[in-house]
Amino acid sequence: MAETTTAARSGPVIEVADGGIRFRRNRLSRRNFKDLFAGKTRRTRSSEFWALRHVSFSVAEGEAIGVVGRNGQGKSTLLKLVAEVIFPDEGSVRVNAGVAPLIEITGGFVDDLTVRDNVYLTAGLHGMKRQEIDARFDEIIEFAEIGDFLDTPYKHLSSGMRVRIAFAVISRLEEPILLVDEVLAVGDKAFREKCYRRIEELLAGGRTMFFVSHNEKDLKRFCTRGLYLDKGALVLDSSIEEVLARYNADYGV
Amino acid sequence: MSAALEARPNKSAMARYRHSLWLLTTRDLKVRYSTSALGYFWSILDPLVMAAIYWFVFTQVFSRGVGHQPYIVFLLTALLPWMWFNGSISDATRAFLREAKLIRSTKIPRTIWVGRIVLSKGIEFIVSLPVIAVFVVLSQFTDTPAVVRPEILLLPAAIVLQAILTLGIGFIVAPLVVFFRDMERAVKLTLRFLFYASPIIYSLTNLPPGLHLISAFNPLSGIFALYRSAFFPQELTGHWLDVIVSAIMCFAIFAAGLLVFRRTIRAVLKEI
Repeated sequence: MAETTTAARSGPVIEVADGGIRFRRNRLSRRNFKDLFAGKTRRTRSSEFWALRHVSFSVAEGEAIGVVGRNGQGKSTLLKLVAEVIFPDEGSVRVNAGVAPLIEITGGFVDDLTVRDNVYLTAGLHGMKRQEIDARFDEIIEFAEIGDFLDTPYKHLSSGMRVRIAFAVISRLEEPILLVDEVLAVGDKAFREKCYRRIEELLAGGRTMFFVSHNEKDLKRFCTRGLYLDKGALVLDSSIEEVLARYNADYGV
Repeated sequence: MSAALEARPNKSAMARYRHSLWLLTTRDLKVRYSTSALGYFWSILDPLVMAAIYWFVFTQVFSRGVGHQPYIVFLLTALLPWMWFNGSISDATRAFLREAKLIRSTKIPRTIWVGRIVLSKGIEFIVSLPVIAVFVVLSQFTDTPAVVRPEILLLPAAIVLQAILTLGIGFIVAPLVVFFRDMERAVKLTLRFLFYASPIIYSLTNLPPGLHLISAFNPLSGIFALYRSAFFPQELTGHWLDVIVSAIMCFAIFAAGLLVFRRTIRAVLKEI
């Protein structure tokens, strides 16, 4: 990790240069083989739209960024690009440090396996070694308040419990970049507050964070910088207060 | 608890790849065996029932005109590898669709999603091999005992070739099914055709001479000949050409598979 940390200090942790990604408008519209194998340069068809285009910004280590925009304006897509679970069709996205994605966090959990097995599986897939998980296991379980259900199959947990254990695992990954995508809407109020305190701790520890939310209070609580996305374009990149003011002016409540 | 950045040793890309592949493979096996009471038994029951059916049809109903004695060993030496191939390819059709949520949230190298299927099915194949040993022992009490030949040393080569072939086809099938759902049915149908078009219930030598050349281009024929040579060296003598063509085909398909996979993966990730 030593070399990546110094690399991150000397340059931006995340660098998006003229990033763009297009999706099909209609899942049923026909695909053809030629499009599938075409490289990055093929022209856009009328059945496609750009979810994001000409987006450029860079993020320094330790910044906390709130992503603001109405539904369907590319917020989650931007997060997925930074998580490198999808790739841009135009431009480039460079991420120079490990990412802990709180996106679809329950996705990696297997219904038929126990909570214990699932913790080892998910943490392992995010690159943790067995001994590292062993060392953090009790803390993860304690945070999720799920000690009585260690050997229960995951499918028998309530939806709140599922999110709790998933958050506990991902937030313990010790990765330098944290991506949060409205995942915490599910848990009860007390647990949400606990998660927020964990996020604050992580920020205090020097993490870089991307935060997507519609909640102005939360955005102001965590973020210093804001990105305002509208119609697939980055409209404003400024302090969170300015971004929120602009957003409210455009789509006033 | 401190949230300060603790240094975590960076593993090499290769080590991470192996680590993730192994995690998902053991997960597959764990799920399969923890949800069924009979567990391991199922992975040998399937080929056993199939073998029993073909043995009955070809030795009891029809008088056997194909293969070699003991026919049950002859059958199993190709049927078990076929199960591995068949299971891997039919699972590969759902490689991305079934794991969509997990694929959307982790950035492990995407070839793992096919690799783990081939590996977990391969492990099941290996642990089912003792079934052949049982029938070889049993055949010692009959008029036609099976004899183990030095060609059994070719077993690792057969396994490696088959793994390469299966991965290659998996790399082609898995992404294409995401875009063309009809492919799933087409693959199932092709597999059924391939079962009879490959020397499983019969031997390469049973083919009419006109078909020899065509069958050499079925990479499975050479692979099955390698497996079978452990007990039936006549499967290999005079068929080395098939094995060589098979090997070339395996590598060609693997290369084509990697190419298709690389070109389509960005579209796959957007689609799921």
